[in-house]
Amino acid sequence: MAAIRSTLLPIVLVAVALPFAAAAESPPKPASAEPAAAVVAPPAEEAFTLMNNMSRKGLHDFKDESWNAYGQITFITSWKPSFAAPYTNANGSNNSLLPDAESSFTGTATLYLGLKLWPGGEAYFAPEVITERPFSQLHGLAGAIQNFELQKTGGEAPQLYRSRVYLRQVIDLGGESVERHSDVLQLGTKDRRRRLILTVGNFTILDLFDKNSFTSDTRQQFLSLSFMTYAAWDFGSDARGYSWGGAAEFDYDDWAIRFGRTSPPKYPNQLPISLRFDREYGDSLELEHDHKLFGREGAVKVLAYRNREFMGRFDESIAALRADPARNAAACTNSLYLSTNASAPDLCWVRRLNIKVGIGLNLEQHLTEDAGVFFRGMISDGATEVQAYTSTDRSISFGGLTKGSVWKRPADLAGIGASIGWISRAHADFLGLGGVDGFIGDGKLNQAAEEAFEVFYSLNFLDVFWLSADYQRIVNPAFNADRGPVNVFGLRLHAQY
Amino acid sequence: MPSISRSPALRVAAAGVGAWAACAAWVPAARAQQQADGFAVERLYTAGPGAGWFVMDDLRLEGGLGGAVSLVLGYSRHPLTVLNGSQRLNVISDQAFAELGLAVTYDRFRLSMDFAGPIIFSGESGQAGGYQFTAPGTNLEQNPDSITDPRIGFDARILGTAKSPFRLGAGVQLIVPAGARADYLTDGGYRGMGRLLLAGDKDRFTWAGQLGVHLRPRDDGKAPGGPRGSELLFGVAFGLRLPVGTGTVSLGPEVYGETAFKSFLGTETTGLEALLGARFEGLRADGVNYRLKLGLGAGLHPRFGAPEWRLVAGLELFGRGKSN
Repeated sequence: MAAIRSTLLPIVLVAVALPFAAAAESPPKPASAEPAAAVVAPPAEEAFTLMNNMSRKGLHDFKDESWNAYGQITFITSWKPSFAAPYTNANGSNNSLLPDAESSFTGTATLYLGLKLWPGGEAYFAPEVITERPFSQLHGLAGAIQNFELQKTGGEAPQLYRSRVYLRQVIDLGGESVERHSDVLQLGTKDRRRRLILTVGNFTILDLFDKNSFTSDTRQQFLSLSFMTYAAWDFGSDARGYSWGGAAEFDYDDWAIRFGRTSPPKYPNQLPISLRFDREYGDSLELEHDHKLFGREGAVKVLAYRNREFMGRFDESIAALRADPARNAAACTNSLYLSTNASAPDLCWVRRLNIKVGIGLNLEQHLTEDAGVFFRGMISDGATEVQAYTSTDRSISFGGLTKGSVWKRPADLAGIGASIGWISRAHADFLGLGGVDGFIGDGKLNQAAEEAFEVFYSLNFLDVFWLSADYQRIVNPAFNADRGPVNVFGLRLHAQY
Repeated sequence: MPSISRSPALRVAAAGVGAWAACAAWVPAARAQQQADGFAVERLYTAGPGAGWFVMDDLRLEGGLGGAVSLVLGYSRHPLTVLNGSQRLNVISDQAFAELGLAVTYDRFRLSMDFAGPIIFSGESGQAGGYQFTAPGTNLEQNPDSITDPRIGFDARILGTAKSPFRLGAGVQLIVPAGARADYLTDGGYRGMGRLLLAGDKDRFTWAGQLGVHLRPRDDGKAPGGPRGSELLFGVAFGLRLPVGTGTVSLGPEVYGETAFKSFLGTETTGLEALLGARFEGLRADGVNYRLKLGLGAGLHPRFGAPEWRLVAGLELFGRGKSN
């Protein structure tokens, strides 16, 4: 614990100090009815985009859009030097992060299209292509996966898929008028602060839930998966992170409550999904309150989830092995993870419809117009295997983010943050016996919290490009104090238009 | 009768005969086990968004900067049937898809993109013509996010005005490979199309046609029903436009097909189908045009991807800026 404290203390200090330093030249903004937008550089209404340029030339109504189109291209490369590990893939378990030096990359391109169908009715469509090479075949890290873009089904051959196609209906319920700026998956329009929003189709639940101004847009902000959302939130989605389903949101001035039901994968961490929403599902419920603290915008969100999915419990897999040693990982004929550890339990023997629950808190606070701090924390029950997101059972993340306004580069971004993840006792027992889940399993375990520290600077050039330098330090990868720490150096080139 | 086991000469002869018989039996078996590869089986090459017909292009391109969006939902029955003697193997018996199209128009030009996604591709596995066919099992659960062979197209009206009785245009399309060949969603390689487009309107009569080339590198040789390289595309459509309320209804058939150059107009390398369509076109209060389309078709020569029958529905939204 002392080591953790010594690592985290400077991060906390810098995370808080960095945005405060930026605050020096930025007075509070007058109160405004406009909702807080993600702190990215620059905001959509000022960015050099097709929509903005068409609007400036009188070819498009940016404030009352009947359609819009945005695009992005992001290339991220990561390199990790070799690290110390007394064992790797011990006894036939096969989910260790390899201790050799490795490089990884992702390349994505996305087109975001929005269309107004009728009053309050909008349709969105987003085709996306990805090419990728993860570290160690995406094994050996839980929430601390260094690049949020990595997908479980990806490969170096480019894959084209539909990331989103959904309908949204906004029902005006009155209240103060508010301008919704044109943006990715948002048509520029005016509506009210009291409204009902219904969404149905194919989307990622992160389009609707757990937004955070400082740590949701991972193509501009932090790279680590642990900052994209709660690492312990195993939200119902396919292997790419997208779902079919529906959601309803009720906004009432500073309050919002939203509920969604989405499709889980048919089998843990696989692309095929279950569309039997009465039988298998991921339910999410979030309550949000937006506030102003010393004239600065902030928000508090509480999110609870309950999944009913086809997955195995750790305690049952251990009990199955103890009752019959033949029910081990190597003997499993329908294992998803191909472990050859004949003394390890395997979840394949005990998969059935199980329940997973968790609750989390998401805080954000602007310290200036362009800078602020964030915190996320979630506790999940930790009884069942990872179905979709990460192997983490409990997580916190926190940090700060600022634009470069203070040093006269307002389109630049800098951020610093840390995340910590834990696993349950049952999960640790399972891993300690050599079990593997979708991401981790070294064959042995010296249980500890998986910690990740990240700092980045993102430099804007030619209006539409950002080049980011990123450093991450991962301590106790896969919750194993015997291995690591791991240093990861990253570069990100991002363009949006 | 001497026992085979007691006569060396007979044993050798018997072994030879046995080996020959085994080989003879093995050869057809080996042929039967040759796996047929999948390919892009869909033959409804929809016209660009806002182009009026399902397949043909009305070439009514005019005005300033404009755009169009289209959604087409289609179902076809038995689009890939192979014959094994008198037996039919419906490799794909049910095929449903959704296709989203987007276009930017300016004056007489259209730049478009089409993204199709499979909803159902299913059929029967079995052997035919010496090949083993494995039916796809594509549905929204198995393939929750598939996009198949998106098309990028450019069309232009070259001769005639937007409403003249004779209009001549040309269009090219690049088809980008996406999806899995085993699911019969793609050829796995780039394809292209170049088409000469014809259209016209005279009073209530409207017509269109096309003649073009489908540049298709894939040639599956003797595999029944498979692609045989580049193809000739052809089609013609005609109909009546009738005013109904504040809009217009168009009724008329489209007949279209394709044949492989390598076996030109061959029985198994030519597909021909007809689609009887009805379209309602109106103007929304916000100034955006819309068009609702419904088509029911049948394979006039249900081979080479032309189905036994087909049902198609479409919605188009399009708007045009003022002419410069």
